[in-house]
Amino acid sequence: MSFLAFFLIVVSLVSFVAAQLILKRAMEATTSTGFRNAQFVSKVTGGVILMTISFFLTLGLLQRFDLSYLYPFQGLSVIFITLMAAVVLKEKLSVRLTIGALLISAGIVLVSLS
Amino acid sequence: MQNRPSGFGNPWLQLALSVACVLVSEFLLKRGATEVANTDSAWSWTGVNGLASPLVWWAILLIIASFISWLYVLRYIPITIAFPLSRIVDILVPLGCWIFLGELISPLRWCGIALVVFGLALVAKPIAQIEERL
Repeated sequence: MSFLAFFLIVVSLVSFVAAQLILKRAMEATTSTGFRNAQFVSKVTGGVILMTISFFLTLGLLQRFDLSYLYPFQGLSVIFITLMAAVVLKEKLSVRLTIGALLISAGIVLVSLS
Repeated sequence: MQNRPSGFGNPWLQLALSVACVLVSEFLLKRGATEVANTDSAWSWTGVNGLASPLVWWAILLIIASFISWLYVLRYIPITIAFPLSRIVDILVPLGCWIFLGELISPLRWCGIALVVFGLALVAKPIAQIEERL
Protein backbone atom coordinates (compact mmCIF):
# COMPACT_ATOMS: atom_id res chain seq x y z
CA MET A 1 0.00 0.00 0.00
CA SER A 2 1.37 3.39 -0.97
CA PHE A 3 1.72 6.32 1.40
CA LEU A 4 -1.06 8.11 -0.52
CA ALA A 5 -3.46 5.20 -0.01
CA PHE A 6 -2.66 5.03 3.72
CA PHE A 7 -3.08 8.81 4.02
CA LEU A 8 -6.47 8.68 2.29
CA ILE A 9 -7.63 5.82 4.53
CA VAL A 10 -6.68 7.87 7.61
CA VAL A 11 -8.40 11.02 6.24
CA SER A 12 -11.52 8.97 5.48
CA LEU A 13 -11.54 7.48 9.00
CA VAL A 14 -10.94 10.82 10.76
CA SER A 15 -13.66 12.53 8.66
CA PHE A 16 -16.11 9.76 9.52
CA VAL A 17 -15.41 9.88 13.28
CA ALA A 18 -15.58 13.69 13.40
CA ALA A 19 -18.85 13.65 11.42
CA GLN A 20 -20.49 11.23 13.88
CA LEU A 21 -19.53 13.35 16.88
CA ILE A 22 -20.75 16.57 15.26
CA LEU A 23 -24.04 14.96 14.22
CA LYS A 24 -24.59 13.61 17.72
CA ARG A 25 -24.08 17.12 19.12
CA ALA A 26 -26.52 18.51 16.54
CA MET A 27 -29.23 15.96 17.31
CA GLU A 28 -28.82 16.33 21.07
CA ALA A 29 -29.40 20.06 20.72
CA THR A 30 -32.73 19.48 18.93
CA THR A 31 -34.30 18.08 22.10
CA SER A 32 -34.15 21.52 23.72
CA THR A 33 -33.96 24.02 20.86
CA GLY A 34 -35.77 22.19 18.03
CA PHE A 35 -34.68 21.94 14.41
CA ARG A 36 -35.12 25.56 13.35
CA ASN A 37 -31.95 27.20 14.57
CA ALA A 38 -28.68 28.16 12.91
CA GLN A 39 -26.53 26.05 15.20
CA PHE A 40 -28.39 22.83 14.30
CA VAL A 41 -28.24 23.59 10.56
CA SER A 42 -24.52 24.44 10.63
CA LYS A 43 -23.61 21.32 12.62
CA VAL A 44 -25.64 18.99 10.41
CA THR A 45 -24.16 20.64 7.31
CA GLY A 46 -20.64 20.19 8.70
CA GLY A 47 -21.38 16.54 9.55
CA VAL A 48 -22.82 15.85 6.10
CA ILE A 49 -19.81 17.47 4.37
CA LEU A 50 -17.39 15.36 6.42
CA MET A 51 -19.39 12.18 5.72
CA THR A 52 -19.44 13.02 2.01
CA ILE A 53 -15.65 13.41 1.99
CA SER A 54 -15.31 10.07 3.78
CA PHE A 55 -17.78 8.44 1.36
CA PHE A 56 -16.01 9.50 -1.84
CA LEU A 57 -12.58 8.64 -0.46
CA THR A 58 -13.90 5.17 0.43
CA LEU A 59 -15.38 4.81 -3.06
CA GLY A 60 -12.00 5.73 -4.58
CA LEU A 61 -10.22 3.24 -2.33
CA LEU A 62 -12.75 0.49 -3.18
CA GLN A 63 -11.70 0.79 -6.82
CA ARG A 64 -8.19 -0.22 -5.86
CA PHE A 65 -8.59 -2.51 -2.88
CA ASP A 66 -10.95 -5.30 -1.87
CA LEU A 67 -13.71 -4.50 0.57
CA SER A 68 -12.21 -7.10 2.92
CA TYR A 69 -8.89 -5.21 2.84
CA LEU A 70 -10.46 -1.88 3.78
CA TYR A 71 -12.77 -3.27 6.45
CA PRO A 72 -10.19 -3.50 9.28
CA PHE A 73 -9.81 0.27 9.07
CA GLN A 74 -13.59 0.69 9.33
CA GLY A 75 -13.45 -1.59 12.37
CA LEU A 76 -11.16 0.89 14.10
CA SER A 77 -13.92 3.48 13.91
CA VAL A 78 -15.76 1.63 16.72
CA ILE A 79 -12.91 2.23 19.15
CA PHE A 80 -12.29 5.80 18.01
CA ILE A 81 -15.94 6.86 18.17
CA THR A 82 -16.49 5.21 21.56
CA LEU A 83 -13.43 6.88 23.08
CA MET A 84 -14.02 10.25 21.44
CA ALA A 85 -17.67 10.25 22.53
CA ALA A 86 -16.50 9.79 26.11
CA VAL A 87 -13.88 12.56 25.81
CA VAL A 88 -15.67 15.10 23.61
CA LEU A 89 -19.34 14.44 24.34
CA LYS A 90 -18.77 13.38 27.97
CA GLU A 91 -20.83 10.23 27.48
CA LYS A 92 -20.56 7.67 30.24
CA LEU A 93 -18.09 4.97 29.27
CA SER A 94 -18.16 1.86 31.46
CA VAL A 95 -15.57 -0.92 31.47
CA ARG A 96 -18.22 -3.17 29.91
CA LEU A 97 -18.77 -0.78 26.99
CA THR A 98 -15.03 -0.36 26.46
CA ILE A 99 -14.41 -4.11 26.38
CA GLY A 100 -17.44 -4.55 24.13
CA ALA A 101 -16.12 -1.95 21.67
CA LEU A 102 -12.64 -3.54 21.71
CA LEU A 103 -14.08 -7.02 21.05
CA ILE A 104 -16.21 -5.71 18.19
CA SER A 105 -13.20 -3.96 16.62
CA ALA A 106 -10.98 -7.03 17.04
CA GLY A 107 -13.74 -9.20 15.58
CA ILE A 108 -14.16 -6.95 12.55
CA VAL A 109 -10.40 -7.06 11.91
CA LEU A 110 -10.39 -10.89 12.14
CA VAL A 111 -13.43 -11.20 9.88
CA SER A 112 -11.80 -9.07 7.21
CA LEU A 113 -8.29 -10.53 7.49
CA SER A 114 -9.33 -14.16 7.13
CA MET B 1 -31.61 8.00 27.29
CA GLN B 2 -34.74 10.11 27.01
CA ASN B 3 -38.40 9.21 26.74
CA ARG B 4 -38.78 7.84 23.26
CA PRO B 5 -41.58 7.40 20.77
CA SER B 6 -42.85 3.87 20.13
CA GLY B 7 -43.95 2.07 16.94
CA PHE B 8 -42.16 3.13 13.76
CA GLY B 9 -40.59 5.97 15.72
CA ASN B 10 -38.89 3.54 18.08
CA PRO B 11 -35.16 4.38 17.86
CA TRP B 12 -34.18 0.69 18.15
CA LEU B 13 -36.33 -0.10 15.12
CA GLN B 14 -34.74 2.85 13.30
CA LEU B 15 -31.30 1.51 14.23
CA ALA B 16 -32.24 -1.86 12.68
CA LEU B 17 -33.51 -0.12 9.52
CA SER B 18 -30.33 1.93 9.32
CA VAL B 19 -28.22 -1.25 9.58
CA ALA B 20 -30.31 -3.01 6.89
CA CYS B 21 -29.85 -0.09 4.46
CA VAL B 22 -26.08 -0.01 5.10
CA LEU B 23 -25.86 -3.79 4.57
CA VAL B 24 -27.46 -3.65 1.12
CA SER B 25 -25.58 -0.48 0.13
CA GLU B 26 -22.19 -2.11 0.90
CA PHE B 27 -22.83 -4.83 -1.69
CA LEU B 28 -24.15 -2.31 -4.23
CA LEU B 29 -21.16 0.02 -3.72
CA LYS B 30 -18.59 -2.72 -4.18
CA ARG B 31 -20.28 -4.03 -7.34
CA GLY B 32 -20.84 -0.52 -8.69
CA ALA B 33 -17.29 0.66 -7.95
CA THR B 34 -15.78 -2.45 -9.54
CA GLU B 35 -18.07 -2.15 -12.57
CA VAL B 36 -16.75 1.29 -13.54
CA ALA B 37 -13.23 1.03 -12.09
CA ASN B 38 -10.66 2.99 -14.08
CA THR B 39 -7.53 3.03 -11.98
CA ASP B 40 -5.52 4.77 -14.74
CA SER B 41 -7.36 8.03 -14.11
CA ALA B 42 -5.85 10.28 -11.40
CA TRP B 43 -9.39 11.39 -10.45
CA SER B 44 -10.40 7.82 -9.65
CA TRP B 45 -8.81 8.25 -6.19
CA THR B 46 -11.66 10.62 -5.38
CA GLY B 47 -14.25 7.96 -6.25
CA VAL B 48 -16.25 10.45 -8.32
CA ASN B 49 -16.13 8.24 -11.42
CA GLY B 50 -18.08 5.65 -9.40
CA LEU B 51 -21.13 7.83 -10.03
CA ALA B 52 -21.22 6.42 -13.57
CA SER B 53 -22.68 3.21 -12.16
CA PRO B 54 -26.46 3.02 -11.49
CA LEU B 55 -25.71 0.62 -8.64
CA VAL B 56 -23.74 3.36 -6.90
CA TRP B 57 -26.77 5.66 -7.19
CA TRP B 58 -29.03 3.02 -5.63
CA ALA B 59 -26.45 2.65 -2.88
CA ILE B 60 -26.47 6.43 -2.36
CA LEU B 61 -30.28 6.39 -1.97
CA LEU B 62 -29.99 3.66 0.66
CA ILE B 63 -27.19 5.55 2.40
CA ILE B 64 -29.40 8.67 2.57
CA ALA B 65 -32.26 6.57 4.04
CA SER B 66 -29.83 5.01 6.51
CA PHE B 67 -28.47 8.45 7.38
CA ILE B 68 -31.94 9.83 8.20
CA SER B 69 -32.65 6.83 10.44
CA TRP B 70 -29.24 7.23 12.03
CA LEU B 71 -29.83 10.91 12.84
CA TYR B 72 -33.06 9.86 14.54
CA VAL B 73 -31.18 7.20 16.51
CA LEU B 74 -28.58 9.76 17.63
CA ARG B 75 -31.33 11.92 19.05
CA TYR B 76 -32.32 9.25 21.56
CA ILE B 77 -29.50 6.75 22.09
CA PRO B 78 -25.94 7.48 23.36
CA ILE B 79 -23.44 7.07 20.52
CA THR B 80 -21.23 4.89 22.75
CA ILE B 81 -24.04 2.30 22.58
CA ALA B 82 -25.62 3.01 19.18
CA PHE B 83 -22.43 3.01 17.09
CA PRO B 84 -20.93 -0.29 18.34
CA LEU B 85 -24.37 -1.92 17.89
CA SER B 86 -24.61 -0.59 14.34
CA ARG B 87 -21.43 -2.53 13.49
CA ILE B 88 -23.46 -5.75 13.56
CA VAL B 89 -23.45 -5.06 9.83
CA ASP B 90 -19.81 -6.23 9.79
CA ILE B 91 -20.83 -9.78 10.62
CA LEU B 92 -24.06 -9.68 8.61
CA VAL B 93 -22.06 -9.13 5.40
CA PRO B 94 -19.99 -12.35 5.66
CA LEU B 95 -22.99 -14.25 7.07
CA GLY B 96 -25.09 -13.02 4.13
CA CYS B 97 -22.40 -14.21 1.71
CA TRP B 98 -22.38 -17.59 3.46
CA ILE B 99 -26.16 -18.06 3.56
CA PHE B 100 -27.20 -16.55 0.22
CA LEU B 101 -24.09 -16.88 -1.96
CA GLY B 102 -22.79 -20.17 -0.57
CA GLU B 103 -19.36 -18.68 0.18
CA LEU B 104 -17.21 -20.49 2.69
CA ILE B 105 -16.33 -18.90 6.03
CA SER B 106 -12.87 -19.79 7.33
CA PRO B 107 -12.33 -20.79 10.98
CA LEU B 108 -10.52 -17.47 11.60
CA ARG B 109 -13.52 -15.58 10.22
CA TRP B 110 -15.85 -17.56 12.49
CA CYS B 111 -13.63 -16.51 15.42
CA GLY B 112 -13.99 -12.89 14.32
CA ILE B 113 -17.77 -13.24 14.09
CA ALA B 114 -17.81 -14.78 17.58
CA LEU B 115 -15.76 -11.86 18.97
CA VAL B 116 -18.17 -9.33 17.44
CA VAL B 117 -21.15 -11.24 18.88
CA PHE B 118 -19.56 -11.24 22.37
CA GLY B 119 -18.79 -7.54 22.02
CA LEU B 120 -22.35 -6.77 20.93
CA ALA B 121 -23.69 -8.77 23.88
CA LEU B 122 -21.53 -6.71 26.27
CA VAL B 123 -22.66 -3.43 24.74
CA ALA B 124 -26.31 -4.49 24.61
CA LYS B 125 -26.50 -5.64 28.25
CA PRO B 126 -26.83 -2.13 29.76
CA ILE B 127 -29.65 -1.43 27.29
CA ALA B 128 -31.76 -4.23 28.76
CA GLN B 129 -31.21 -2.74 32.22
CA ILE B 130 -32.13 0.76 31.02
CA GLU B 131 -35.27 -0.56 29.29
CA GLU B 132 -36.31 -2.39 32.46
CA ARG B 133 -36.13 0.83 34.45
CA LEU B 134 -38.33 2.71 31.97
